[in-house]
Order: sequence, then C-alpha cells, then structure tokens
Amino acid sequence: MAATSPPGTGLLKGLGVTIKHLFQRPATLMYPYERNELAPRTRGVIALMDENCTVCMLCSRECPDWCIYIESHKETVPPAKEGGRARTRNVLDRFAIDFSLCMYCGICVEVCPFDALWWSPEFEYSEYSIDSLLHEKEKLRAWADTVPAPPPLDDGAVLPAEVADAIEKAEKERELAEAKAAEEAQAKESGAAGGAATPAAAAKEPEVEVKAGEIDQETFDQLIAEGKSERIARSKAKAAWVKKEKARLKAEAEQGGGDAAAPAAAPKPAEVHVEAGQIDQETYDQLIAEGKTERMARAKAKAAYVKKEKARLRAEAEQAAPSGESAAPEAEAPAKKQLSEVHVEGTGEIDQEVFDQLIAEGKSERIARSKAKAAWIKKRKQEQLDQEGGA
Amino acid sequence: MTGHDVVFVLVGLLTAAAAILTVTSKNLVHAALFLATTLAGIAGVFLVLAADFLALVQLVVYVGAVAVLFLFGLMLTRAPIGREALDNQNRGLAIGVSGGLFVVLSALIVDAVVGGSLGDTTVAEVTGPGIEDIGMAIFAEWVLPFEVLSMLLLAALIGAIVLARREPGDSGEEAMATRIDFGDAPPTEGTDSLSSGSLPELTSGERREGGP
Amino acid sequence: MTAISSGATTYIAQSVSLFDGFDGFVLPLVLKIAFVLQLFFVVPLVGGYLEHKAMGRMQHRRGPVEAGPFGVLQLVADGIKFIQKEDVIPRAADRWVFAAAPGVAMVPALLVFLVIPLGPGVFALDLELGLFYALAITSVSVLGVLMGGWASANKFSLIGGLRAGAQLIAYELPLILAAITVAVQAGTLSLVGIVEAQAGFMIPGTGINVWFVFPQIVGFGIFFISAMAELSRPPFDMPIGDSELVFGYMTEYTGIKYAMYMLTEYAGMITMSALMVVLYLGGWQLLPGVPMPGCEGAGGLFDCSPIGIALSVLVTLGKIMALVFVMVWARVAYPRLREDQLQRMSWLVLVPLSLLNLAVITVFKVVF
Repeated sequence: MAATSPPGTGLLKGLGVTIKHLFQRPATLMYPYERNELAPRTRGVIALMDENCTVCMLCSRECPDWCIYIESHKETVPPAKEGGRARTRNVLDRFAIDFSLCMYCGICVEVCPFDALWWSPEFEYSEYSIDSLLHEKEKLRAWADTVPAPPPLDDGAVLPAEVADAIEKAEKERELAEAKAAEEAQAKESGAAGGAATPAAAAKEPEVEVKAGEIDQETFDQLIAEGKSERIARSKAKAAWVKKEKARLKAEAEQGGGDAAAPAAAPKPAEVHVEAGQIDQETYDQLIAEGKTERMARAKAKAAYVKKEKARLRAEAEQAAPSGESAAPEAEAPAKKQLSEVHVEGTGEIDQEVFDQLIAEGKSERIARSKAKAAWIKKRKQEQLDQEGGA
Repeated sequence: MTGHDVVFVLVGLLTAAAAILTVTSKNLVHAALFLATTLAGIAGVFLVLAADFLALVQLVVYVGAVAVLFLFGLMLTRAPIGREALDNQNRGLAIGVSGGLFVVLSALIVDAVVGGSLGDTTVAEVTGPGIEDIGMAIFAEWVLPFEVLSMLLLAALIGAIVLARREPGDSGEEAMATRIDFGDAPPTEGTDSLSSGSLPELTSGERREGGP
Repeated sequence: MTAISSGATTYIAQSVSLFDGFDGFVLPLVLKIAFVLQLFFVVPLVGGYLEHKAMGRMQHRRGPVEAGPFGVLQLVADGIKFIQKEDVIPRAADRWVFAAAPGVAMVPALLVFLVIPLGPGVFALDLELGLFYALAITSVSVLGVLMGGWASANKFSLIGGLRAGAQLIAYELPLILAAITVAVQAGTLSLVGIVEAQAGFMIPGTGINVWFVFPQIVGFGIFFISAMAELSRPPFDMPIGDSELVFGYMTEYTGIKYAMYMLTEYAGMITMSALMVVLYLGGWQLLPGVPMPGCEGAGGLFDCSPIGIALSVLVTLGKIMALVFVMVWARVAYPRLREDQLQRMSWLVLVPLSLLNLAVITVFKVVF
C-alpha cells in the first residue's frame, strides 16, 4: 500500500478482489462430462501401424525405459521374377509397449524410420491392474485409428516431396483428361448443338497447343526493370507469352465453338471434400458390440463414414465423367511401383519446362527448382522404363 | 426425594470423586484435568441450588480461565507428553494440610447446622437471588470494597509483570528479542566502500568479528 | 416452562432459571432436545456447504458438485466417510484424555444452542442470563483443545494446543467486553430481551429505529474479529497452521473424533454468527422499524402467527448465513497472521478499543 492511502484500504481491496472472483465463471472443466480441446501433438498413447513396421528394432533400442518388446521371425519371399533371387523378410510377431514403464518421451516415435509409431491423444486407458498397462500389438493397432490427421502446413511452407510429386502427377493426368474431353467435345459439338448436356466432361479451358519458345518482350523488360534476375524474368515472360497466346487462341476457338466450353469441371477424387461430422452408425454399432470403447468406436465410425462418403462422391463423379479421369487413381499405383523400382542418379539437372510453368504459377523459385528436379528424375525414369519395355 | 435431590447427590458424588482423583493422580496434567472437573462439578452444585449466576461465574472464571491457565502453564513448562508420571515429594505435607482443613470446615458446618447458631433455621424453598439484586448489591451497597478489591488485583497484576519482565540491560544480558541479527552480512567497514552505505546497521552496535 | 410460547410483554417475568427444565413436562423437554440437536447438526452443515461453495467460487472452482443436487449432500457424505474411518490412537498418547478431548470441545458448542433465539418463541431456553451463559459455555471449549493437543503425544499437537489456548484466552476478553457493552445498552442479559430492546431503540431525538450495530459499529467489528479468532478461523488459524504445525492439535485425530472437532468449528461459526445477529443485527427483525407480518407484540416481533414465526426463523437464518459468508469471505481474502501479530492485535488494539467502546456507550446510555 502506498503510504498516503488511509489504513484499511488494503484490507478492503483484498475483499474486493475476492468478491469479484465470486461472480466470475469457475475455471473448472467438468471432465467426464466435458472434454478439453487437446493440443494437436498431445502425447496420450503410442499407436502402432504394424503394416509399416519392418522390425528394425530402432525404437526398442532407443527407448530409455526399455519398455518396448518386439518379437519377429524371418520369412523367405519367393523371387518377384522368374530366375530372381529369393529374399528374406522380417515378420512382426509381437509388438508390445509397457505403459507402466513408458515415460512418454516420444523417442520411439521420433526414430521410427517408416512411420509405424504415432502419437495418439487418447489418454483414458488407466487400469486396475498394472499388468493391464502392457499393450500388445492389437491394442496398439487399435490406437492407430485415433491418431488425428496432421495439422495443416503453414502458409508458404515447403510441401513434402511425396505430396509435391503426387500433385504434379495428378495435374498432368488432369491435363491429359481435359485434352481428351476437349477433343470429344469438339467431336460432339460438330454433331449436336446441346454440348451442355455433358458438362462434367467439358474442360475448363480448351487445351491450346502453344509452343513455349518465345517470350513476351514487354513483360521481360518490365521485370528486368524491377530488378529481377534475368532467368526469372525470362521464365515469367515466357509464361506471360504462353498465357497471352492461349487467351488469343481460346478466343478464336470460342468464336467458332460457341458454348461448348462450359466451365463445369468434374470433381477429382482428390478434391472430394467430406465434412467429418457424422458417423457411420453401422460401423459404430458393430464396434460397440465388439467391446471397443465408445470414443474409439466413434472415431472409427467417423473414419468409415468419411471413406464411404468419398467413395460415393467419386462414384457419382465417375458416372458423370466416364472418361480417362476415373482410371487415373487406379493407374497411378502400378505406375508408381514401377517408377520407384528404377534408380536414377539425380545430377542436378532440372526440367526447364516444369520450372517455367511453376514460376509462372507464382511459386517461389526454390520450390520450382526442387519440383523441376523431381520432374526431371521422373522423366528419366520413365524413359528408362520405356527402354526396358522396348527391350 | 425430588428431582433436585437426585441431581444434587449425583453432582456431589461426581465432584467428590473428581476431587479425590485430583490429589491421588500421579500425572500432573491428569490432576489438573480432574481439578477442572471438580470445579465444573461445583458449578453444577451451584446450579442445582438455583444460583445460576454463581454457577456461570464459576464456569467462566474457574473452568474457562483458571483451569485453562493451569494446563497452559503446565504444558508450557514441564508437562510430560503422553503417559509419563511426574510426581513430587510433598505428599505428606499435602495430606496434613488438606486433612486439617477438612476437619476444621466440617466441624464448622456441623456446628452451624446441628447445634449452633443456625440450628433453628427452617428449610426453605431454594430460590436464587435475581441478577438485578446481585448487581445492586455489588455496585451500590458494597461498591467501595469492590473497588478496593479491584485495585488490589490490579496491583498484583502489575507486580507480576514487574517480576516477570526483565528490562533490557538490567542484568548485563540484552533481551534476545530486541536484537536484530542480519546473519552473514559482510562487515560494513572494509575494502568495498561503495556498498557500505547501503547495508543496514546492526542495532546492537557490536560489529561482527572476523570476516574476509 | 413456558418459554416456547412466551410473549414479549411477559417474557422477563417468565425468564427461567437454567435448572427449571428438570421439573417441566417430559414432552417439551424431548421436543427441546430434538430442536437443539437438529439445530446443531443441520445448520452447521448448511454453513459448511455455504463455505465450500463460496470458497470454491472465489477461487474459480465450483466447489462440491457430485454429492446430491449441486453437491448439497457433500458434508453428509463426508460425515459418513468419517464414521467409516479407522480410529487411530497413537501408542504414546494418553488414551482417555485423547478420547475425551473432542467431546469436551463439542459439548459446550452443543449447549450454546440452548439459548439462541431464532424467532419469537423459537428457542429451547430463555435464560435471564442468556448472553452470559453463551459466553461462559463457549469458554469451556478451550479445555478440549488443550487436552487434545497434550494427549496426542506429538510436539506439533502440543504447540497447536498451546497456541489455541493462548489465542482463546486473548480474544475472550475483547469478545466479552464487546458483548457486555451491548448488554449495557439493552439493559438486560437475556438474548430475547436484547432483540426486543433493539426493536425499541431509536436514534436519540428522532423516531428512527435502528439496530445496535449503528451506535456500536466499533463493538460489532471487535466482536466479529474476536469471534473469528475464538473459532480459530482463517486468518486466525495459527493453532492449526498447516504450513507450520501440520494440523495443530488435530494432527493425530482421525475418523469420528476429527469430525467432532470439525463439527465444533462449524457449530461455533453458527453460534457466533447467531450471537452477532441477536446482539447487533436486530435478531429476527427484517429491517429496522419494520414489523414482522403476522406479529403483534412489541416492535412487531412477538405474539406471532405460525406464518410470522416461520418468516422470523427464515430471517434469522438468513442473517446468520450472511455472517457466515462474510467469515468465509475474510478467510479467502486474507493470509494467516503470525502468532505474535495475533497476540499484539488482541492485547494492544482490541482490548483497549473495547474498553473505550464500553466507556463511551455507558456514558451515552446515562446521558440519553
């Protein structure tokens, strides 16, 4: 208290503070009835995706408490090709984490090279007996269903390489499909006037063949004047030229083609967005009947719902657009496998075309470069595959 | 025998038993507790005799204050915690004094009731004096003795304080409570002249010996 | 024994000796015992619940929520738990003193309820010496605390008991002096009489009726602080002082004996609040100068219809609970005092102040 205030002011102030708090909302969370919003990386329980596990034993060895028990045996896999060599493979027999010893340091999750271990925010697995805290493989696998999706990346963050590859591939396939659709539309349009009857197949923008060799001098000069490096300026100018050219050609096409270019693009499977609010009642009931906890059952049922819904939407999209588009995701898997088997030495070259295109889309130079590099490697791989196929 | 009589006998027996236990108990604290019981029993006797005010005064003064002070003093000084006995060697003397007192008092009472000056008193219905009467008696009729008594008690109180309290410097040793010790504070005189001003002075005036 | 139906005009004449109850009818006696017991066991529970809830909310908690609707049965559940607990007696303890101590502390608290008037005719006894009786009986409680502290054979208990003894002696003085001042102003020691005197007390020279808290605000403050100290309620809980003495004289107590000590504290809160209501806050009077509906006697406070009686009891209980709330409030707001600050406050502040208060009020009483 300041020396000037009359005696007893402090006492009254104290009473004032407490009475003020009396009328404020209590901070208590009524836990079993209400639940806290847990942080995205909450360390509740460690989940195991056993299909990812290669029995490398890294987690078990790194565990400071030695609370991870792994047992496995070797199996011989017959050779993939005639005349090849048989390989051995580790098969996981037992994977157990003793949560009565675990100190939740997360080192095992950290060191797992194949993303077999995950953090799940579930924390309600207390037991009456300490033995029951030893979670075996099945239980750990069940926790994996409660692992939340990773939080979205920050704006401007570098995409993971796999995701970037996948996007690129999907985009290429879409372009292909669009080109095909455009051809079909053109073919149809000559016959029937009602081109709008097949709106799903209609491409957003008719594929215009533009030779990307020239640059838009105007843009180039302007960018140079703004102090950009020559290379960026050149690529951007090239993009600008392509764009202009495309616009010109499109205008010409529209003059001739009427309303064939309806802008309703078919939804891609990857774009299917499902609100994850509902649950799949059937799955839920079944899980409850199997004796799962309510929370887990709910999570799984939710996942099942999302899956079903996506499948339904995709099916609808396919019905609407039976063109090459729908085949793309299925075709993707084998192609990827084959590609991944080919080894190409990345020597630092980049795919200039891809680079230019990305720059034109406004990506940062670094991203564009890395993607372009990836594209180059992929091209090489494809070439090698083709060669092999030819041989 | 009326209800009064039954209760009187019961309370009297309780009081007497507690009194006997007070003097025979070997544990000092037990003795004090039995004393408190005895005093409370006497308050009960007063109550039965319709002397409400006296009973309550007995309770508040003897049980609530004297017995508590007794216990307080015992615990503060040398009360053995728990069941240890604490006896003294004055048993014979105590028996002599209390026996003599008992004889004298009972003789007086017997004399008064049976053959003496009160022999022809008739038994009357027990009714205590009203509190107003007591108040008037003390503060009007007997106010002078009352005030003198108050002064006497006050003098005794002050005397006790004077005896118990030792003024600082009286016997050479300073009272501990008035000295403030700053522990391991560095000596104020020394190499560092800058910090010497900010250090508090030792109130006792004596500087610590030694130091760096 | 006619106190139960006594009217205002005749109550002084009917004020009884404490002992008269023995010769009365059996039924009224049983009724009175039942009345006092239910007061003793129910009202402190309500006060305790109020404390739990208010304290919780002041600390941003909810307080009890699970036992019964809004947790109202929490203290009942606690009582059942205490009964089930093992009754541990330390080996070195003095068994009999240890066992008797909680009873010695509790019985006086129970007996005080005899004289507390909750409404017109709603009391077990209307003693002529009511106020003196209440103060005398409460002074015995300290014996139980000292016994428990000593018999536990534990140094923390002993120090706690000693602190309690010193504290109770120190604060009994200002408490009694403040109460006496009210008695001087009212001209009676009867608690019902004091209520009536307040209903008839006017500001000198005017016709405005006020309670005794108005002329005796200082005395009320002294009584309130002393009452909290007498009860060892925070911020005056040095005898328990859990950061210094574990739990003071209650350290070794478990189960039902511990519950008895706790019940003593809560019952003490109720009796002290009730005394303050009677002495300073006009008893069962709703507002100064406002007669109770359904009542006809002096000041509109006596000779009531059943509705009036029920209303009066509600008003009294409401005032008691308001005071209990203020005690809880102070408990939450203030930290514990130091032992020497406690003694200093009593002997150097409260006692002189209460003496001055007594002198001023006496002069005031004689002059007007």
